[in-house]
Amino acid sequence: MIMKVGSMKIANINRGYNYFAVIQQRKDIRWWIVWFCGMMLLWLWDFNFLAPLSFQLLSTAIVYTFVGASCAVIFSLTFGWLLGMGMYFLEQGKYKNGKLPVLFFLNLIRSIPQIVLLLIGYILLTSLIRNQILQTQFEQLIWMAFVIGIFCSLEIYDLVRERISHFTKSDYFHAMLCCGMKESRIINIEILWKSSLSHVLHKIVSLFGTIILLQCSIDFIISVGLSQDVSLSNFPVTLGSLLAKLDSKQDILAVGTYLFDPWQNYQLLFMHLQGVSVAFIIVFTLICFFQIADGMVKQFDL
Amino acid sequence: MRQHILDHALSILFVFVVFSIFMFIEQSYDETPTLGESSEFWLQQKTLDFSNPLHKSLFNESLNLFYPHNRAANDSLLNSIDSHRINRMKLSLETQRLKRGLSWEFSLDLLRMYISFIGIFIFVLFASYYATQVFAIISFIFYKQQASSFLKLFFQSIKSLGSELKNGTLHWRKILEILFLLVKIFSTGLFYLILFAPAYVVAYSFKSSFESGGYVFMIILGIFSNGILINYAYKFYTFLMHESRKGYVETSIVKGLKSSYKWNVYDGIPFRSIFHIRKTFPGHILHHIYTNAHYQYIPTLKHYASLLITGLVIIEMALNIQGHLCYELLQSILFKQYDVTLVIIFGIFLIVKTTEICVDLWYDHESRKYENS
Repeated sequence: MIMKVGSMKIANINRGYNYFAVIQQRKDIRWWIVWFCGMMLLWLWDFNFLAPLSFQLLSTAIVYTFVGASCAVIFSLTFGWLLGMGMYFLEQGKYKNGKLPVLFFLNLIRSIPQIVLLLIGYILLTSLIRNQILQTQFEQLIWMAFVIGIFCSLEIYDLVRERISHFTKSDYFHAMLCCGMKESRIINIEILWKSSLSHVLHKIVSLFGTIILLQCSIDFIISVGLSQDVSLSNFPVTLGSLLAKLDSKQDILAVGTYLFDPWQNYQLLFMHLQGVSVAFIIVFTLICFFQIADGMVKQFDL
Repeated sequence: MRQHILDHALSILFVFVVFSIFMFIEQSYDETPTLGESSEFWLQQKTLDFSNPLHKSLFNESLNLFYPHNRAANDSLLNSIDSHRINRMKLSLETQRLKRGLSWEFSLDLLRMYISFIGIFIFVLFASYYATQVFAIISFIFYKQQASSFLKLFFQSIKSLGSELKNGTLHWRKILEILFLLVKIFSTGLFYLILFAPAYVVAYSFKSSFESGGYVFMIILGIFSNGILINYAYKFYTFLMHESRKGYVETSIVKGLKSSYKWNVYDGIPFRSIFHIRKTFPGHILHHIYTNAHYQYIPTLKHYASLLITGLVIIEMALNIQGHLCYELLQSILFKQYDVTLVIIFGIFLIVKTTEICVDLWYDHESRKYENS
C-alpha cells in the first residue's frame, strides 16, 4: 500500500550515484535546484550592486517572508490534520449530528474570499498591538501566519478527508482493524503518514506558493493603504511591505519603461535593483513552486 | 440539490444576522476622535502659519533666541507641532467620513460601485473560464503531439549550428530560425512571468504605459495575473490527462473514433475548434475526454470564484483607484467606519454565495444527463 514509485527510483539512483540522472529524471528536484540557484545568484548580485542599507532590508524581508510562510504552512497542516481527524471521529462516534455545525462553519469560511478574512485578521492585529498584547515583530509575524494558517488549513482538511475516505473503503483498512490495531493509529500512521506522505508533501508545496502570494498581497495592501494608528516601522518588513515602499514602487514603474528598450533595460539590473529584486523573488518563487508541485505529481503519480 | 440550496440560504441568513448584530454594536459606540495635545496652543496663534516655511523658521529662531540652551527641546516642539498638524488633518477627514456614515446618498454610491464590481467579476469569470479551457486543451494536445519545448528546440538548433559551422554548410535560414526561437522563448517567458506575477506588480510595471484606473486594465489583470489562470488551467489539464488514461478511450479508438492529435488533418483536430465557446470535436476521442473532464471541472468553479474575487479585491485595493468598491472597503477600515466595512464584506459574500448556488445548479443539471433513468 505504501507509495513505492518514488522510493524505488531513488533507491536505483543511490546505487549508481548518478546525480545528473536524478536531475534529468525528476522535475521536482530540478526545480528545487533552479530555485535555490536563482536565489543565490540574486543574493550575490544584490550583495555586489545594491546599496548596503537596501541589501540589509531586502535580506530581512526575505527571511521574515519565508519564516512567516513556513509558520503558516505548519499552522495550516496542524489545523487541517486535526480538523480532518476530528470530523472522522465525530462521524464514527455517538454524536453524528455534531459534524453538521462544523461542516456549516467550514463551508461558511470557504465562501468568504481569503483576502477579506486576512483583512479582518489585520484589524485584530492592530487592536492587539494597540492594547500592547503583541509587542515584538516576531509575535506579529506569528499572528499573521496563524491567521493565514486557519484559512489555508481547509485545503489540508480536504486532502485528509479524501485520503481517509479513499482508504476506509478498501480491505486494507478493515484487515488492520481485524488485526486489533487502534483506529487512530491506522488513520494517523498507516493512512496519512505512510501511505499519503507524497500527497501531503505535494499539498504543502502548492500551499507554500499560495501563502507567499497571500502574505505579500496583504502586506502590500496594508502598507499602501492602511496602518494609520500603528506605525509601519513596528511591523516586520516582508517582501510585500518592501515592495510598497516608494523607491521600490518607482523601480517597478521603471520596468514598464525600460523592458522594451534594449539599449536601456540593463539599467534595471543596476539602478532599480531593490524593487526589481523583490518582484523577481515573489514571481520566481511562485513559478518554481508551481513547477515543483507539478514535478511531484508526475513523480509520484498523484 | 434542495439540501445544498438550504445550506447556502442558511449560511447567508447566519452571516446576515451576525453582521447585523455587529453593526448594531458598532453604531452604539459613539467614538468621536480627539487630539488633546499641548501643541494646540501654538497652532491657535493667528499670527503664525505653520504651513508657511518662513513662519516656521522664524518661530524656530525666536525659540532659539529666547531659550538658547534648549535647542533640542525647541526642535522637538516644532516636530510635535508638525505632527499635530498632520493629525488634525487626518482627524478632520475621519470626522467627515464618520458624519457621512451610511447615508442614503453614500448607500446609492456604494450600490453603484457594487454593481460595477459584479459586472467586472462576471466578465472576468466567464473570460477566465474560457481561457482556462483553451490553455488546458492546447497543453493537452501539445503533450499528445509530444511537442518539444522552445528551449529544447533552441539547444538542439545551437548544437546543429555548431556542426554546420564545422562542416561549412551554414545557411542564413538557420540563424533566422534561432533568432525566431529566441523571440519565442523571450515572449513565452514574459507571458509566464505575467501569469504568475501578483496583480500589483504587473499593474505598477505597466502603469506608465496604460491607464491603470480603467475597467479594461482591471479586467485584463483579473484574468491573467495572480497565477489563478495558470493554476486552474493546470487543474483542467490534469482532469483531461486523467480521463485520457481511462479504458473507454482505448475501446473507442478500437471502435474507430478519430484519435490523431495533429492539427487540421482528416482524423486530427481542427485548430479553430479549440477557440469556439461551445467546444465540440465531432467524431474525435477528444470530444469525450473533454466532456467528461469538463463535468469534473464544474465544482472547482466554486473555489475559483472565491479566488477570483480575492484577486479583484487585491487589484482594486493595491491600485488605490477611487470610486471602486474595494477602495471604499480599504478606506472604511482605515477610518474605522466598520458599518460600511460590514456592508461591503456582506456584499462580497453574497456574490460568492450566488456563484456557488449557480455552480451547484449547473452541476446538478449536468449530472442529470449522466443519470440512468
